Amino acid sequence: MKTYRDIAGDGGSGIVAQVVAARQSMTRALAGVRHLVAVGSGKGGVGKSTVTLGLARALLAEGRRVAVLDCDLNGPTQAQMAGVSGKPWVPGEEGLELPRGADGLGVISMGSVLAHDAALRFDAISQGDEQVWRGSREMTVLGQLLAGVHWGELDALLLDLPPGAERTVQMAQLFGPRAAFVLVTVPSAVARDVVARSLDALAGDGGGASARVVGYVENMVGYWCRECGAVRPLFPAAEPLPLPLLGSIPFDPDLAADCDRGAVPSLTTPAGTALRAAARRLEDILESSP
Amino acid sequence: MKFLCLACDEQMKLEESAPPVDGAGLTATFRCPRCGQGVAMLTNTWETEVVGSLGVKLANGRESRCPMGAMMSGAGAGAAEGAVDAPRGASAGLAWTAGALERLERIPEMVRPMARDGIERFARDRGHGVVDEAVLEAARARLVS
Repeated sequence: MKTYRDIAGDGGSGIVAQVVAARQSMTRALAGVRHLVAVGSGKGGVGKSTVTLGLARALLAEGRRVAVLDCDLNGPTQAQMAGVSGKPWVPGEEGLELPRGADGLGVISMGSVLAHDAALRFDAISQGDEQVWRGSREMTVLGQLLAGVHWGELDALLLDLPPGAERTVQMAQLFGPRAAFVLVTVPSAVARDVVARSLDALAGDGGGASARVVGYVENMVGYWCRECGAVRPLFPAAEPLPLPLLGSIPFDPDLAADCDRGAVPSLTTPAGTALRAAARRLEDILESSP
Repeated sequence: MKFLCLACDEQMKLEESAPPVDGAGLTATFRCPRCGQGVAMLTNTWETEVVGSLGVKLANGRESRCPMGAMMSGAGAGAAEGAVDAPRGASAGLAWTAGALERLERIPEMVRPMARDGIERFARDRGHGVVDEAVLEAARARLVS
């Protein structure tokens, strides 16, 4: 009797061919993107989205062509932070046009098309059983967004990942070997350990290919006081991760307020200066990578 | 998933399929091209959702289970300027010209409902009753302003 591998094709359902075609269309859509940079952590609340946007803006300030894809479909923040939440998704000649913020940064975020207080819901015939299919469906949405946007020629597309070590690994598999990962942590032992677990998961044991992790950003290394100019500690120092440290970013309440308002923040503050330095280190690493 | 005719040791071919209806699963019939023996595959809702979650068309391409094509509340509801929170579909109903529709169909199916809602809201807010390419261009211009 024939086995599964003895039989070519799927008998006419075309499902495998459709999945392959979807992956190919993603590759085509990203053909003009030089660097795919996934900013993740595993830990929630460490400032992944703020760091992603900060790095993107720092690269933009250096004259690079940059866009951001908010991969957190359930908790999107980039639309509001980048000031594109009121801009519709417009079909263009070659796919969805990139909404741009006041500084010209292109941002695709579910926050542009979801009401600010609405959850992402899917129609399904098995309501109540979302644990069976929801994760896969979200990955498909993400893949179709990557394939469906007219990214054009970019020096870097930054991918703002949701929290969760398992989601980080799943997304690494979706993005493939082109993606370079940057991990974000805060200087607490608890956060550091969660991020270290993500790093281990990305290393690929368990059957998956290893992801390329190029460095990490230590966020909220202190509190920057605009009044006195001093950076005061927020956390005790944590053991460093076994990765290149791209930068240490102090917490800046004005930067946080700008993000909430969707305003373009200054890059001359201590946080902005640190983000620019981190972006330069990141770019150096990316350019020197094979 | 593949089906093998045990009598002929031959792969059965998809003959017909029907999309999920009223909470039921997918129905697909396969037939052996050699002896004509047929089987029906009846999926439960979990199996249907798992396959549908891949964003593929089921039932000979007649039925899409693509994720965002099936998104419900929240999508397109109120994020655009001046919009109020409304159930998805409330903005439906504007006519699209063939040219505008062609552009809409150039983007992946799952993105279309969200793009469509946003564009229709944009058009309605500006007094347009029809979405044409000029409306799309106006919306595009707003993306970079």
